[in-house]
Amino acid sequence: MKKMIAIIQANNLFFKIFIIMLISIITVSVSITFSTIRMSSDLYMERFSITNNKVIGQIKEQFDMYSFSVVSTYVRVDENGIIKGLLQGEKDTAVEKSQYFYHMKSNMDRIYAEVDPNEANMIIMSPDHDVFNMNYVSWPVVAEELAHHPITEQSRENPHQILYQFDASALTNRVPMIIATKALIERSSNEIYGYLYISIRERDLRNFYEGYTSEGNSIFLLQNTGQIISSDRQNLIGSESQELLRHVKELEQSNEEYHNVHIFNRNQVLMAEYLPQLDMYLVNLVDREALQQDIVDTKEIVMISIGIVLVTVLVIFLILRRMTVSISKLVRQISDMARYKFSKPLEETGGYESKKIAEAFNYMLNELHDYVEILIKTQEKQRKAELEVLQHQINPHFIYNTLASIKFMVKQEQKEVAFTTIDAFISLLQNALGDIDETVTVEQEMENLKNYVLINQARYGDRIKVNYLITPDCLGYRLPKLVLQPFIENAFFHAFTEKKTGFIRILIAEQDEQLVCEIIDNGDGMVQDQLTRKGKRQLFSGIGVKNVHERIQMLYGKEYGVVITSEPNKGTNVKVTLPIIQK
Amino acid sequence: MGNKLSKKFWLLIVALLTAMVLAACGGDSEEGSSDADGGGDGGTTDDGATKITAWAWDPNFNIAALNLANESYNGETEIELEIIENAQDDIVQKLNTGLSSGTMKGMPNIVLIEDQRAQSFLQSYPDAFYPIGDYFNTEDFAEYKIPPTSLDGKQYGLPFDTGATGFFYRTDYLEEAGYTHDDLVDITWAQFVDIAKDVKEKTGHPMLALDPNDLGILRVMMQTTGTWYTTEDGTINLVDNEPLKVALQHYKELMDNDLVKLVSDWSQYLAAFNSGDVASVPAGNWIAPSIEAEESQKGLWAVAPTPRLDMEGAANASNQGGSSWYVLNIDGKEAAAEFLGNTFGSNSDFYQSLLTDVGAIGTYKPASEGEAYQYENEYFGGQQVIYEISQWMEEIPQVDYGMNTYGIEDILSAEIQQYLSGKSLEDVLADAQAQAEAQFK
Repeated sequence: MKKMIAIIQANNLFFKIFIIMLISIITVSVSITFSTIRMSSDLYMERFSITNNKVIGQIKEQFDMYSFSVVSTYVRVDENGIIKGLLQGEKDTAVEKSQYFYHMKSNMDRIYAEVDPNEANMIIMSPDHDVFNMNYVSWPVVAEELAHHPITEQSRENPHQILYQFDASALTNRVPMIIATKALIERSSNEIYGYLYISIRERDLRNFYEGYTSEGNSIFLLQNTGQIISSDRQNLIGSESQELLRHVKELEQSNEEYHNVHIFNRNQVLMAEYLPQLDMYLVNLVDREALQQDIVDTKEIVMISIGIVLVTVLVIFLILRRMTVSISKLVRQISDMARYKFSKPLEETGGYESKKIAEAFNYMLNELHDYVEILIKTQEKQRKAELEVLQHQINPHFIYNTLASIKFMVKQEQKEVAFTTIDAFISLLQNALGDIDETVTVEQEMENLKNYVLINQARYGDRIKVNYLITPDCLGYRLPKLVLQPFIENAFFHAFTEKKTGFIRILIAEQDEQLVCEIIDNGDGMVQDQLTRKGKRQLFSGIGVKNVHERIQMLYGKEYGVVITSEPNKGTNVKVTLPIIQK
Repeated sequence: MGNKLSKKFWLLIVALLTAMVLAACGGDSEEGSSDADGGGDGGTTDDGATKITAWAWDPNFNIAALNLANESYNGETEIELEIIENAQDDIVQKLNTGLSSGTMKGMPNIVLIEDQRAQSFLQSYPDAFYPIGDYFNTEDFAEYKIPPTSLDGKQYGLPFDTGATGFFYRTDYLEEAGYTHDDLVDITWAQFVDIAKDVKEKTGHPMLALDPNDLGILRVMMQTTGTWYTTEDGTINLVDNEPLKVALQHYKELMDNDLVKLVSDWSQYLAAFNSGDVASVPAGNWIAPSIEAEESQKGLWAVAPTPRLDMEGAANASNQGGSSWYVLNIDGKEAAAEFLGNTFGSNSDFYQSLLTDVGAIGTYKPASEGEAYQYENEYFGGQQVIYEISQWMEEIPQVDYGMNTYGIEDILSAEIQQYLSGKSLEDVLADAQAQAEAQFK
């Protein structure tokens, strides 16, 4: 999670632009896609409803023909005097009954032959529950059941009306059936002398319209009570739907061609026609979505939109990334600049803009580097000049004192001593006054040191002894001149103020590929803070202990220099490390 | 570098758009070429099996038998059987329409036809049926089944169920009237009428139920003597048909004495004996399951051989109903014939399960040796009903039903009503003969 946030923060710019772009592209494509689909389906729906209304008209004709057939069958039965006579007549003996049954059937046969369609069945039941069934296979009804069934009772209560009733109970062996019933009435006495049933199985009725239906285009025969009595959606047959009835009535009142409704959990187009003879509605429901899938290939439009969005987003993603990533990288590099001490230039990658920025930045950085370098060089020169000046400043007191000592020697007629002292003094001066950058061999430096020590011993006596321990192979190595002299001087003049006698040892050897020179005395020693004390006046030249360290490091680098360790009353150890230089 | 990259993007976009357009075009070509109609054109299915269709009408009886046959089929040709259910009247109508048009389109490979109608199809459409005599042995079947299912010496039908009749009666009513089982075995129809009178008198129950529009009882009576409405050569035989005369006299006597319960349809016919109203049911053996449907009358029923007409050569056996399988002369006929021959034509074990699972008594004689035929039916007081029926089946006198059985019967039933109201028998038959000759010549 933190990593994610870090990534988002690092690519802040990219994400901002990308998200805005993404949202706008998707919004535009989605709205265009949907309006296209909606517009085309609306247009199609308009045309479709016109055709479907014609189809409904044709189906209505079929139903009209059927109801006409029912009515004419009734009229023929009603007008048939033989049937009336047989139903009302006495029939006690088997012979009478036989003739009654036979003639009933043969008269009915003639009427039944004209019932349309053929699948419809015709039954007449006498008041004594004799049933004459013209097509037993289509409806194997049992007389007693039929006589006491509500459909017969309904008919008894409404004797002047042809009733269309739906039944799918045990009476019809659970086969959904639409049964037209009519009581047969003797006009003179208003007595019922029989019942006529014209039944049609729902699946035969379905033939009237099944050819016009398809997946998503269903037809319902809806009773005024809200019961669906026939449909190509067979699971709905027999069920009640007040909702559908309400929609149908609304449509009827509105005088419109069709309504868009939401029913049976789908968005549907509803068209309806009233069948007055049957007191039923013929309802056509067309599933909008199924229709759209058929006509408007929604999938294809959506796929094309998605494809375009994907491609665009991909292109934007890549271009945007190229642009913003290089800028983000620049920002990161610039903020990292301090860590590399401004020495690392920026990478000049990415787009044109970021490349130019990086170039300008690098140019600026280079200029800056140049100025700084010049500044450092100037400073170094200045320092060198300073050192040179210091070196050349041979203390006049030293000269004066040495000369005074020699005068004494001459006066005391110590001619030999005076002579060697002057000799040493001359060569010391000769060496000291050369170029500060010059190096000398260890051997020459030893000569200088010996001369210096000689002069000092001539002046102050030889109570401080000096020993030299040089490994012979070091004699040829070179070192900056007057590097060791300040430490000898220091030892002479400061190490032996309490102790009056002692010795100074000078050791030079090669160690770990370095030239190590040690100046060890057994004098008073110092506490640590005295080591760093400044401002000690130099007796021979301007170069002091402090300067030596600085000078070595300036010449050879940080790994070389001077280390001083000291302990009170034990002495001081000065260690000078130098590179091995051979010439 | 930048240019190169954006070129790639454009290529990608173009490629994607092309792919989409191609996909959209490809979508149209999915419409299959499936025009499935109910007809069996003897096509071959994907897995190499020959597809045959069969038409039958009763899901509990002959369709169940077909399904059973399909399960037990073990012939060489791979067969995929499709069974289509149609009402019997629809089958007759569709066959007539289809065969008379001559196209045979939508016709099945196998069709079940009632024996008494079979000749009208075989004679009217001589080339429409495929002779299947080579696929089974006709001698294995009850003799009476052969004439209706063959024509000009060629065997067209494979006999299915038997319509062998029995005289089913209520033991309690008959006992009350003073009759035992032995009194009812091998009687004549004249005796039957006398017994009916006694039963009516002593118990008040009518002897049998009849539908005046169905003269089945007359046919049963006639066939005990081996005569029919027509002779073998097709001449209408009513006037001088002595058995028919006797049968009509018995019929009138039953009616005149109120020994009959008149019914107007099948449900009332069933109700007549299920309610305990009538004392007997002389009918085809297929009525037995309907009798057994009334659980409360268990043990109260028994069956005796069909009464015969009191004439020379009459047998105490007759037939009512029964049907046979026919193969239409269209592609797939060999497979269909092989299917029938392998199952209904020769498989004795199949007939055992046909009996136990479906309750159909076949006309395949070797099957009657099987165990299922020996079953003692508790409903009928432990009688070996099936075994006895299968015995009677072999005695049924052969009859050529001819082409016009039902047509003649329509004429006859109108005349019978007049006969019942007093017209003389001679006139009735003479008038019927005249009408029939006018209609069917």
